[in-house]
Amino acid sequence: MTPLATLLTLSSVLFSLGLLAVLTRRNAILILVGIELMLNAANINFIAFWRYGPPDPDLTGPMFVLFSIAIAAAEAAVGLAIILMVFRHTRSTDLNRLDSLHG
Amino acid sequence: MLPLLILSPLILLAALGAVWKARPVHAALLLALTLALIALLYLAIGAYFIGLVQFMVYVGAVAILIVFSLLITRPGDEAEEISRRPSSLLTGLICTVPVLAVLFISLIRANPPEPAASDAPSATLQQFGEKLFTTHAPVVITVGVLLTAVLIGAALFARGVQGISSSEPFESGKSLPP
Repeated sequence: MTPLATLLTLSSVLFSLGLLAVLTRRNAILILVGIELMLNAANINFIAFWRYGPPDPDLTGPMFVLFSIAIAAAEAAVGLAIILMVFRHTRSTDLNRLDSLHG
Repeated sequence: MLPLLILSPLILLAALGAVWKARPVHAALLLALTLALIALLYLAIGAYFIGLVQFMVYVGAVAILIVFSLLITRPGDEAEEISRRPSSLLTGLICTVPVLAVLFISLIRANPPEPAASDAPSATLQQFGEKLFTTHAPVVITVGVLLTAVLIGAALFARGVQGISSSEPFESGKSLPP
C-alpha cells in the first residue's frame, strides 16, 4: 500500500467516524466533535495530495488547509456560543429536547 | 512510511473512542488526542508549518473550547445515552456504511500511483508568507473579516440577546429545573 493510499484510507475512515458521531450523538457539543473529525479528514486529503502528488510550487494544498483551519475555528466558536445560549434557556444540550417548533 | 503506519491506527482508535465514549468529557479529551495525533502525522510527513498550526489552533483552542463548554453545560444522562444507543447506532450505521463503501470503492478504482519523489516538497516559511500575502491576499483579508465577525457574534451570543431573559426557560415546559 502506497503512502498516498494509506492516508486516503485513513481520511475515509475518519470521515465516516465523524459522520457516525453526527448521526448518533444527541448532545449538541458532541455533534460538533463529529464535525471537527470530518473537517480533519478533508484536511488530511489536501496534505496527502500535496505531499505525494505532482510537485506544486504554489502550495495549494497547505493553503487550503490553512484557510480550512481558520474557518473550522470560527465555526466551532459560533457553534459553541449558540449551544451555550440554548443551554441558558433550556438547561440542556440534548437536541431531542429542542422541539418547541414541533407542529 | 513507518510513522504513517504507526500513527494511522492510533488516530483511528482515538477517533473511535471520541465517537463511542458515553461520557462527554472523555469524548472531548479523546478528540483532543485525535487532533494532536493528526498534527504529529503532518509533522511526520513533512508538512511542518501545517502541523504546528494544527497543534496551536485545534489542540490549543478548539479542543479546549469544547472541553470548557462541556464543563459549563450539564452533560446528558449517560445511562439514557447508553440505553438509546442500539437504535441510534443502527440508524447511524445504515447511513455511514454506504458512505464508507463509496469512498473505498472510489479509492480502489482510482488506484493512487506510487509517489515519484520520496522527499517532501519544499515549503519554507518564506514561501508560505509570500504566497499568503501576494496570491492569496484577498482570501487572508476575507478570513480576517470573517474572524472579526465571529468574535463579535460569539461575544454577543454568549452575553445573551437583548429581550430574552436568560433566567427564564422556554415555555414548552420541557426544560429541566436549573
